[in-house]
Amino acid sequence: MIFVIDDDEIMAECIAGAIGKNAKIFSNAIEAMNEISAGELPDMIFLDILLDGPDGFTLLNELISYDDTAKIPIVIVTSLDLGDKDLSVYGVKKVLLKDEMTPNDIKNCVSEYAK
Amino acid sequence: MDAEVDGILIAAHELKAPLAVLRQLALSFEGVGEKDERIRGEMVSVSERAIKQVNDLTKVRRLEDGLFTMEPVAVRPICDDVIKELSYLFRFNKRELFIKYSNRSQLVVANRELLRGVIYNFLLNAMHYSGAETRSELIVCDKSDHVRVSVRDYGPALPVDVWREMKRGFIEKPTSIAMRPGSSGLGLFIATRFSRYMNAEVGAVRHRDGTSFYVDLPKSRQASLF
Repeated sequence: MIFVIDDDEIMAECIAGAIGKNAKIFSNAIEAMNEISAGELPDMIFLDILLDGPDGFTLLNELISYDDTAKIPIVIVTSLDLGDKDLSVYGVKKVLLKDEMTPNDIKNCVSEYAK
Repeated sequence: MDAEVDGILIAAHELKAPLAVLRQLALSFEGVGEKDERIRGEMVSVSERAIKQVNDLTKVRRLEDGLFTMEPVAVRPICDDVIKELSYLFRFNKRELFIKYSNRSQLVVANRELLRGVIYNFLLNAMHYSGAETRSELIVCDKSDHVRVSVRDYGPALPVDVWREMKRGFIEKPTSIAMRPGSSGLGLFIATRFSRYMNAEVGAVRHRDGTSFYVDLPKSRQASLF
């Protein structure tokens, strides 16, 4: 299963549409974390940074603090200019800009990073 | 960063989010017919242009932070790059783009990203204001100690007050160009701000049948060191 965490419903559906059947959408970090705590470890996560409630960085910190979630591949999907920040310590494999990415970029990330 | 700058950056982000969604929705359509494909292409293109202007506006607000370094850059590849990006749009709107490079000096002192923004906005402006089936011209030539990148359109004449403002080298804020309908003057505002940051002179030449906007970029002395 691949988690898509984005509070913009339409954008989340676009990303999920490119991923295919394995996508599960969450509109905030808490919902996603609850699902993980309940035992469903995703194969990878597409994560927005600016979210309602705890932001993407809060979730990233949470994920790397547990052994079982620390290695989940993360792809950040954002409108923010994150510059050259190295986010690999958080398990971030790639940063996709919402205003530049294409459905193929999402598909490529899935085939490259999903466990 | 002052409150006004902060506010503009937040507003830019708020504008960018729905534009990115529109673009993504258009890209999501698959298996559409030829006619719909044109509409889809136009939706992607319009949203990308709007996103670019929002990004440029953000850059204008960040100029004060001095994040854009000046270096010797080759003019022609930057022009080629912008032309490549906009050629679809010119074709789609049935506009011709004439290009002439007569400059011997290749290197100017500029910031690659900002110079690209200036040329992009000039060309977009020309495409927008040239009449149907007319052409726009991109001309790069040498002028004593600088290289001039000029974009000419065959649209309505530039109002004299805007021309005067440009002659002073500065447009204080986006100014609606009354004789050029549909214009907020945002592209011109962005281009003049970027140019001023690069110590490049920006200006306009009024023609009876259109306008040329130009930017004069200082030549790089780097080549003379060899």
